[in-house]
Amino acid sequence: MILRLAAVVVAALALAGPAAAACVHPRTSLNYLEGQIMCPTCHTTLDQSDSAAATRIKVYIQKRIDECATADQIRAELVTNFGAGILAAPSHKGFDLLAWWLPLGGVIAGAAVLAFGVWRWSRTRESDSDDPPTKLDAADEQRLDELLARLD
Amino acid sequence: MRVLKLSGQVVALAAVAGLLGLLVWRVTHRTAPPKIGGPAPTFKLERVDKPGTVDLASLRGKPVVLNFWASWCVPCKGEAAMLEQASHEYSKQGVVFLGVDWHDVTSDAHRFLSKHGVTYTTVLDRTGSIADRYGVAAVPETYFIDRQGRLVGVHIVGTVVNQTEAFRRGVEAALHS
Repeated sequence: MILRLAAVVVAALALAGPAAAACVHPRTSLNYLEGQIMCPTCHTTLDQSDSAAATRIKVYIQKRIDECATADQIRAELVTNFGAGILAAPSHKGFDLLAWWLPLGGVIAGAAVLAFGVWRWSRTRESDSDDPPTKLDAADEQRLDELLARLD
Repeated sequence: MRVLKLSGQVVALAAVAGLLGLLVWRVTHRTAPPKIGGPAPTFKLERVDKPGTVDLASLRGKPVVLNFWASWCVPCKGEAAMLEQASHEYSKQGVVFLGVDWHDVTSDAHRFLSKHGVTYTTVLDRTGSIADRYGVAAVPETYFIDRQGRLVGVHIVGTVVNQTEAFRRGVEAALHS
């Protein structure tokens, strides 16, 4: 009886290990997150820093990954702890949206200005080619005739 | 067409002027460390050791030893015991020790305080903005503030363990100026 009970306990423990290690969602990775998080003391992303603060934050992230925290959860915890400046990219909300839309707006405005410039330039060239040939006055015409006669 | 061209030029000029203005503002607003003898930058920060906040202005009338530290900082571990001992020693004379935890994971800060037996008040500078106003570039750094809220004595950069004489002078200056 005791042997049977022991066998059940051992089997349960053996199964409990992998079950505890598995997460209900795909596990994120330190590699994925360290390019998105800033080192607060050196102002580079974590993947480019080996400073004490960066190392400590990497350890914290790895610990939370091991505890099955999602990337969003980890980012949110770090923002709570260090403020929004810990994120390498601005959020997609509120005033921060400007940081995403302004460059796009700039590119569109630049393209529009360029297109307008090209359109104007091509119209100017067209109108240049449409101009009738300039008429010579009587004196110039006579001089030209004399020159041509000499060439003959 | 002329109006369009003129508007474009005005917009371009305004953009350049704006960028120049931003550059000038950034250069002129660089944080320099506060001067000894000048007012200590004030702050109100959340406590690490227990719930609540600490307003530096509320400590006016008491000499303050302000120590910037972080749990990941090795020299900070080395000086924790000395600061704790000094806080007990000088508490009889009314000196307040205030730790400012810089760019730290809160749970690590709790562990640090518990491990090193730090009992004096500690606040959390989450974003590092207060440390910036004090010109702190790395931790540990220690400032001394007199009863009038002025920075006095010395500004200790690095661990106080190797600068005990400067530390003693700083506390004395905070007490007697």
